Amino acid sequence: MMYFTFLLSVIFVISFMGFSSKPSPIYGGVGLLVSGGVGCSIVVSLGGSFLGLMVFLVYLGGMMVVFGYTTAMAIEEYPEAWGSNVVVLGALLLGLTMELFVVLWMVCYDEVEVVISFKSMGYWVVFEGEGTGYFHGDSTGVAALYSYGCWLVVVAGWSLFMGVVIVIEVTRGG
Amino acid sequence: MNPTTLFAIPMTLFSGTMLTMLSSHWLLIWAGLEMNMLALIPILMKKTNPRSTEATTKYFLTQTTASMLLMMAILINMTSSGQWTITNMDNPSATSLATLALIMKLGLSPFHFWIPEVTQGIPLTSGMILLTWQKLAPISIMFQLAPLLNPYIILTSTALSILVGGWGGLNQTQLRKIMAYSSISHMGWTTAILMYSPSTMILNLSIYILLTLTTFSMLTIYANHTISSLALLWNKNPLIALAISLTLLSLGGLPPLTGFLPKWIIIQEMMKNNSIITPLFMTIAALLNLYFYMRLIYSTTLTMLPTTNNIKTKWRFESTKQTLLLPTLLILSTFLLPLAPITPILN
Repeated sequence: MMYFTFLLSVIFVISFMGFSSKPSPIYGGVGLLVSGGVGCSIVVSLGGSFLGLMVFLVYLGGMMVVFGYTTAMAIEEYPEAWGSNVVVLGALLLGLTMELFVVLWMVCYDEVEVVISFKSMGYWVVFEGEGTGYFHGDSTGVAALYSYGCWLVVVAGWSLFMGVVIVIEVTRGG
Repeated sequence: MNPTTLFAIPMTLFSGTMLTMLSSHWLLIWAGLEMNMLALIPILMKKTNPRSTEATTKYFLTQTTASMLLMMAILINMTSSGQWTITNMDNPSATSLATLALIMKLGLSPFHFWIPEVTQGIPLTSGMILLTWQKLAPISIMFQLAPLLNPYIILTSTALSILVGGWGGLNQTQLRKIMAYSSISHMGWTTAILMYSPSTMILNLSIYILLTLTTFSMLTIYANHTISSLALLWNKNPLIALAISLTLLSLGGLPPLTGFLPKWIIIQEMMKNNSIITPLFMTIAALLNLYFYMRLIYSTTLTMLPTTNNIKTKWRFESTKQTLLLPTLLILSTFLLPLAPITPILN
């Protein structure tokens, strides 16, 4: 399973396409869910197990759940999915055809050079990441955040708090 | 609105700009820009009507795009140099992206399209904050990054901004749109000498903020939104009519008023660096700006609309609007030119 990270990146991009094509918000939430989960898996496969699980828990388990519930309350009766719009379906099929084309080119010529040179699957194999060494990089980072980076915690906390306050003020119409 | 929120929102606006101006870590600078944008949103939506909602949405979308471009530049810088200090940005794609992002933040051409629409849809005081305070944070980043920014992108957008600010304002009758195009043009002048002398950029920005604050303060007294409402100002308050004329002349860059000083210094600095054709065209394009200011002055002070012979003078009421430091601003925006001999400290 050497190409695991590459495969995950492909699914990442495809699910981004899935919600950027602006279906109904519930289906956009599905795209966010898949891309968030796959992004966490990429972080975990690069060695940052703690941070990947944090994002999974907080982002998917907290914010996506809240988003899903609020969208479900505000949804219309027949939401528009991806297959309903002919243009979106055509774009999806075209994207898949292009992917197939690139893979065939890769198999035949062993090198694809369009914008960046993509020589072999070896570039996607990770030999070292955050998990090597005596201390895991991600856990050390979190520890540093709460000790040396206390100002960053204050700034981030204040910004997030003000974000929520402002969203509520704007929605209230006050 | 809740008094606590009413205090917290300007406090976040202020601390966002302070964070951007005082940080050396890219992440905190970006966080300051985001705090600024977020805190301005309820200020833009003070009066809840669909027009201001649309204006706020447009502001949010363009500023978020610019922030994301800046974050991309920061991450490219991080991957290529491995550090987060603002003064060491060697990767050319990072600097080009950062230049584009800051140009979008300021509203320079070709990313100027949101400024007239956003300024038109919001109340006058919100427009004042949008066009003055929000320029401080991106300009402070440009000041620190000055030798590293891509000069081709900067000069192109400068030239385009001055032209667009001049021509775009010619067909406007709404005062907020006129001030928006004036802002585009002045930002063009501000970034023109970024590469040669960043301190002069700060001078131009400060005098522009002074003039814009004065103009907006005077417009809020009688809530003048159109040229035709300015034409009736002589009856309500002839002193303000005169003061608006002087401030607009100063905005246009005419000696012996303050607005001439930054243009003079900019042209001098550019010519010291052997650039002659660019300041020539910039000056000629500034005449377009002067034309629509002169049109405002014409309607305000130089002509009277056709009326009957015995027209009644309006009763002089006390102004209910709060004009902060208006006499001080007025004096500063018209009589500061004799301080020109201190400009060698900018070098």
